[in-house]
Amino acid sequence: MTTVFRMRSDMLNIVRDDLERRHPFAAERVGFFLCRAGRLNDDGLVILAGAYHPVEDDDYLPDDTVGAMMGPGAIRKAMQRAYAAGAGDVSLFHVHMHGHSGLPEFSRVDVDESKKFVPDFFNVAPLMPHGIIVLSHDRAVGLCWRGQSQEPTLIGRFAQVGAPMRIWRGKR
Amino acid sequence: MSGRLASQSFLGPESDSVLAAIEVGIVGLGGGGSHVAQQLAHVGIGKFVPVDHDIVEDKNLNRLVGATAEDVMAGAAKTAIAERVIKGVNPAALVTPRQMKWQEATADLRRCDIIFGCVDSYRERDELERFARRFLIPYIDVGMDVHASQEGFIISGQTVLSSPGGPCLWCLGILTQERIAEDARRYGEAGSRPQVVWANGVLTSLAVGLFVQLVCPWHGKSQLSACCEFDGNNHRVESNRLHHARNIRCNHFRSDELGDAFFCRSE
Repeated sequence: MTTVFRMRSDMLNIVRDDLERRHPFAAERVGFFLCRAGRLNDDGLVILAGAYHPVEDDDYLPDDTVGAMMGPGAIRKAMQRAYAAGAGDVSLFHVHMHGHSGLPEFSRVDVDESKKFVPDFFNVAPLMPHGIIVLSHDRAVGLCWRGQSQEPTLIGRFAQVGAPMRIWRGKR
Repeated sequence: MSGRLASQSFLGPESDSVLAAIEVGIVGLGGGGSHVAQQLAHVGIGKFVPVDHDIVEDKNLNRLVGATAEDVMAGAAKTAIAERVIKGVNPAALVTPRQMKWQEATADLRRCDIIFGCVDSYRERDELERFARRFLIPYIDVGMDVHASQEGFIISGQTVLSSPGGPCLWCLGILTQERIAEDARRYGEAGSRPQVVWANGVLTSLAVGLFVQLVCPWHGKSQLSACCEFDGNNHRVESNRLHHARNIRCNHFRSDELGDAFFCRSE
């Protein structure tokens, strides 16, 4: 069962630039990909990033224990955008960045926190896959949920579509 | 860098593993696609989805690379010939042959990192490019034709690299309503379209070059889009169409028109 995540280089450059902006108090920034999907032969999925929405400055909560803590408005707005964009046909992928090159690792907080909020995405698009993406300066890894009560699986393959085109395995 | 690919080490220190990890779809395995399959096998591509519903016939032997008279006698599938050629060069290659119309093989083609389209009609080119754009897959289109003129015949063709975000076949004027209407008018006509191996060889070599520069750029000017127009009478390749379309913002494909339109109903 393969999961492929594809995104355009020009959009990814905008995302990385956005996530590197300093926030007034949060140590890092986060955002959301709005994605569409297609089925592959082996019960696999291809996820296609179509748009990016940063979390607004006011939707962060002060919290020194994590890099960025989203307030309830951040997730509510992301879900509203997903619903407005596709009325149930749009996937939501939370995204943030680790400031290094090479394949990033999920932190314990990345995994634990995402298990709290990603299942809520199924409330607006119950039949779509949802998940999280962690970018580095040149690579990404991701987790994909295929159902609200299912455990996430690693995204196996990434393709950055541009010139040059980059393709990499998303798991070690 | 392994011994077999050592002479292309200028593509990068990890180019052999990069190329081996790529999965390529080749739609149409006649005079164009058979060349593409053979060259990509030599380049070191590791995974292939060759798609063609047809079998090889005697009339194909003037241009179908790898096909033999025995294949004609046996009524061999073009996909089987492509698989044999690929595995003959690289036994480790993973080949998923699909002897069917490409519209029935989309679940495999969606997985591909790039698709080569070597199809006959403009209608099919249009459909294939639309499919590739929906799934954010760069599409390389190869087309050649021979036209009668007052002074004899004109061999021409083009190789186009159509990438998401760049100009499409419509922007470049390769696809026009007139050409698609002409396709429809000629549908069902007896006889085959004129094709020759040397022109196909030029156009498909350009296609493979455009692909390799995209995934293993050997210089600093990797191209997202390209349109190489072949003048087979004067033996020239030019790219005037892209020059004119360079500043056009493609409005034929919206950036949010992605994926399976019926994903939620296709379980």
